[in-house]
Amino acid sequence: MTGKIQVLGIDAGGTMTDTFFVDTEGNFVVGKAQSTPQDESEGLIQSSADALMQWGLTVEEVFPQLITGVYSGTSMLNRVVQRKGLEVGLIVNRGMEDFHRMGRAIQSYLGYSYEDRIHLNTHRYDPPLVPRERTVGVTERIDMFGNIVIPLREEEAYAAIERLLAMHVEGIVISFLHAYKNPQHERRVRDLAQELITKKGLNIPVFASSDYYPVRKESHRTNTTILEAYAAEPSRKTLVRMNDRLKALGARFDLRVMASHGGTISWKAKELARTIVSGPIGGVIGTKNLGEELGYKNIAATDIGGTSFDMALIVQGQFTIQHDPDMARLVLSLPLVQMDSVGSGAGSYVRIDPYTRSIKIGPDSAGYRVGVCWEESGVDTVTVSDCHVVLGYINPDNFLGGQVKLNKERARQAIKEQLADPLGLTVEEAAAGVIELLDTRLRDHLRSMISGKGYHPSEFVCFSYGGAGPVHTYGYTEGLDFEDVVVPAWAAGFSAYGCAAAEFEYRYDKSLDINLDFAATTEAKMAAVSTLQEAWNELAEKVIAEFELNGYKAQDVVLVPGYRMMYRGQLNDIEIDSPIARATQSEDWDRLTEAFENTYERVYARSARSPELGYTVTGVIMRGFVTTVKPKIPNEPLQQENPPESAKRGQRALYYRAKWVDATIWDMDSLYPGNVIIGPSIVEAPATTLVLPPGWSAFLDKHRLFHLRHEKDLI
Amino acid sequence: MAYDRKKIEELIDGTIDWETLHRMLSQPKDPERFQLYVDILQERVHFPETILLPMGLHLYIVQKKDGSRVVKCDCGHEFCSADDNWKMYALIYVREDEESLNELYPKLMAPDPSWQVLREYYCPNCGTQLEVENVTPWYPILKDFEPDIEAFYQEWLGIPVPEPKK
Repeated sequence: MTGKIQVLGIDAGGTMTDTFFVDTEGNFVVGKAQSTPQDESEGLIQSSADALMQWGLTVEEVFPQLITGVYSGTSMLNRVVQRKGLEVGLIVNRGMEDFHRMGRAIQSYLGYSYEDRIHLNTHRYDPPLVPRERTVGVTERIDMFGNIVIPLREEEAYAAIERLLAMHVEGIVISFLHAYKNPQHERRVRDLAQELITKKGLNIPVFASSDYYPVRKESHRTNTTILEAYAAEPSRKTLVRMNDRLKALGARFDLRVMASHGGTISWKAKELARTIVSGPIGGVIGTKNLGEELGYKNIAATDIGGTSFDMALIVQGQFTIQHDPDMARLVLSLPLVQMDSVGSGAGSYVRIDPYTRSIKIGPDSAGYRVGVCWEESGVDTVTVSDCHVVLGYINPDNFLGGQVKLNKERARQAIKEQLADPLGLTVEEAAAGVIELLDTRLRDHLRSMISGKGYHPSEFVCFSYGGAGPVHTYGYTEGLDFEDVVVPAWAAGFSAYGCAAAEFEYRYDKSLDINLDFAATTEAKMAAVSTLQEAWNELAEKVIAEFELNGYKAQDVVLVPGYRMMYRGQLNDIEIDSPIARATQSEDWDRLTEAFENTYERVYARSARSPELGYTVTGVIMRGFVTTVKPKIPNEPLQQENPPESAKRGQRALYYRAKWVDATIWDMDSLYPGNVIIGPSIVEAPATTLVLPPGWSAFLDKHRLFHLRHEKDLI
Repeated sequence: MAYDRKKIEELIDGTIDWETLHRMLSQPKDPERFQLYVDILQERVHFPETILLPMGLHLYIVQKKDGSRVVKCDCGHEFCSADDNWKMYALIYVREDEESLNELYPKLMAPDPSWQVLREYYCPNCGTQLEVENVTPWYPILKDFEPDIEAFYQEWLGIPVPEPKK
C-alpha cells in the first residue's frame, strides 16, 4: 500500500461478505468474513478489518479516506425468495384482480433447469407477493392508444383504498392496464390514496406503476412495482443503517448500490427494486471494465462459486441487457444484465444413479458447508470440494486462509463408500471422474453459449474468477481455443471489485409506439422524431432529478439516450445506443433506422434484415452518468521470468490424468509481475487456488493477471 | 439415496414438503422405494394377507395364505382373482343423463351424455369410489392393468416372490 485508500467494493453474499479496497496507486486487498444476515453491517466491518489487516491498517484509519463505496448484496432477493416482505395492498382493474396470482402461467417453471422445464410434475407456483384478499379492483379502462374507454369510477377507488387501509396494509400499489400510455387514472387513484392516508394520519407509501416502471406487460410491471413496496422499502432501512454505521466510523461518502442494469445508484434512489440482483453483476462489470483498460473487446466472463457457474458475454465492449427478465421466479420489468447459470459449483453434491451407474453432480449444493471434508458441516453426501481435497487441488489447511480446517481422510472415506466402491474404481479414479465430468459440463455450456450467439471461442478472451473459478480454469477452457485465458489475482473478490468499478448511473425506460413506413414522408419522420425527443426529455428530467437528490448538478450529468426498435409486426425489439444526442430533424430518423439496421445485421444476419416492413420504436431509454473514482488496475514493472524462491511453499501430490504428479505450491501474493509458473503447480491465495496441471503454464503480467497457456506439445 | 421412512409416509399422505418432493422428482430414484412403500401400506391395512402390489389408493393385489392372489379393497372386501377384472365385480353407477351429470358439473360445463358418460365403480362393502371411467356409451369395461408380478419381483427388484404363508 502506497497511496491513500479510495474505493470500497462490497459483495454481501449468502455465505461470505467480500470487501475490496483500492488505493490511489491501484493496489488492492480483498477481505472475507462470514455474512451476518441479521445486520449486514456487522459482516461488512469484519470483512473490512480482514482486508485492511493485510495492510496493517484499521477500519477507523481507512474509512475517513474513502471517496466512494459500492454495495451489492442478496438481502433483497432473499426477502423475495423467502416471502418476508411488507404487507402490500394492490389496486388493479376491476374484473382482473386474479392476474397477479395467476403468474402468467410462466411463473410455475421460471428459473428451472432444462430437465425440470420438461418434467411437468416439478412445475409449481410460489405464493403471490400480494394475496387475493389484499387485491381490490376499480372500474376503469384505457386502451392501447391511451384513450379512455371507461372513465375511472372514483367512488370505487375510494372504497378500494378504504378497504385496504382497514386491512392495515403497509404499502399500496396501483397498476392499471396501459397506464404507461396514459397514467391519468393511476395518478388520480394515487392522489386519492395519499389524501385518505394523510387524513387518517397514517404513514403508508403509495406506488403507481406509471411513476416507477411505465412499460408494457402488466404482469412484469405490476410485479416490479410491488417489489418496490414489498422488498425495497425494508432494504432501504438496511442501507440506511449500513450508511450510518459507515458514517459513524468516519466515512464521508454516501453508499451506492449495484443495480441490475450494470450501473450503480444511490441508496436514496426512488427505484430501489433495481438493485434486487447485484452480486453476480459486479463480476460482469469488473470484466467489462478490465477489458476496456486492457483493450479486450470480446470477453467471456466465467465465475464458479459454491453453488453455480455463471457466464456472461461481453461483445464489442458491451454486455447484453435483457428487458423482461425473470428473477426469483417473478417476471420483471427491470433491465437486467444477461447472464447464464449452471447449477454446478464447488459445493455441488455428487451422487451415483443406482440404475445407470452414472455420476450426477448437483443441482443442489452444500453451500457454505463445503462438504464431508469439513467435519463440523454435518454434510454426509460427497461434494465436488471433497474431490478437490482428495486429488490435491486444494490445500485442506489453507481453505479460506486456514479459517476452515478440512479433513482429507473424511473426504477419502466418503468418496470410497459413496462413489468408488459402487463403481468399482479407486478413490482417485472416482474423484477424478467427477472433476472431469464437471469440467466437461462447464466447457460444453461455455461453448454452447458462445456458439449459440453466432461466435467462436477464438474470438474471445476468457476471464475466470470466483472462489473456485481458477481451480477449474484449465479444465473448462481446454481445447476451446480462447484467444487468451485470464485469471485476475483478485479472483475471489472480483464481484466486489466490479462493484467498485461500476459507473454511477441512473437509467429510465419508457414504452412508445412509433410506426413508420420504409418510405415515410418527411412530415411523418418529423412527427416521429419529435415524439422521441419529447420522451427523451421526460426521462432526462427523471435522471437529473435522481442525481440532484444526490447533490449533483444537471451540468455534471452525462446523458446517453437510447431506443428500442424493431421491424413492424415483430414481437421482439433491439436496444440501441442512440447515434445522436438529440433528434430534431427528419434526417435524424434515418440515422436512427440506419443504426438499427446495422445492429440487426450483427445480432442476426445481414439477410435477416427486412426494411420493407417499416419500423416501430417500442421504447426509449435515458442513461445518465457522473464521474466517480474507480479502482485503478495495478501497473507494476515486469521482473524476471523465474519466480522467486521465497514464493515457494513446498510440494503437494496432484492427481491428474490417471497419475500422481508432484506439484509445486506457490504463494500467489509473493509472485512478481513477469514470473512464469510452469505446471504442475498450484498457486495459492487465502480465498482462491489456481491449478496448473502438467502442460499448463501461467504468466503473471504487470496488472497482476495470470495468463494461462496450454502447451499441447508437452503431453 | 434412500429416503427417510417418515418422508415416504408423508408422500403417501400428501403432506410431503416441497424440497423433498423436488429431490424425489429430479434425482435418481431410490431403489428401496417399493419395499418401503408396501411395508407402510401393509402396516395400515387391517387384513393379514401380504400386499403384492398396490392397484389404487384403496385397492391391492394380495397373496392369500393358500397362495392364491386376489384383488382386495382396504376394507377387506375381496373382488376376484388377480387375473380377473375387479370392475366386473364392483357396484357401478353410470351418469348418463343431464340431471346426474349436473350433480357434479355446472350446466354447460358437463359433458353431453349422448357423447360421454361417467361410470363410477364402488366397493360393494364400504362404498369407496375406486375408479371412474369417462367413456362413450356402449364402450366395454376397461381392464386397466395386468401386472407381471413375477418379473417385477425377481428381475427388477431382485427379491423372491412372497411364498404362500403357512
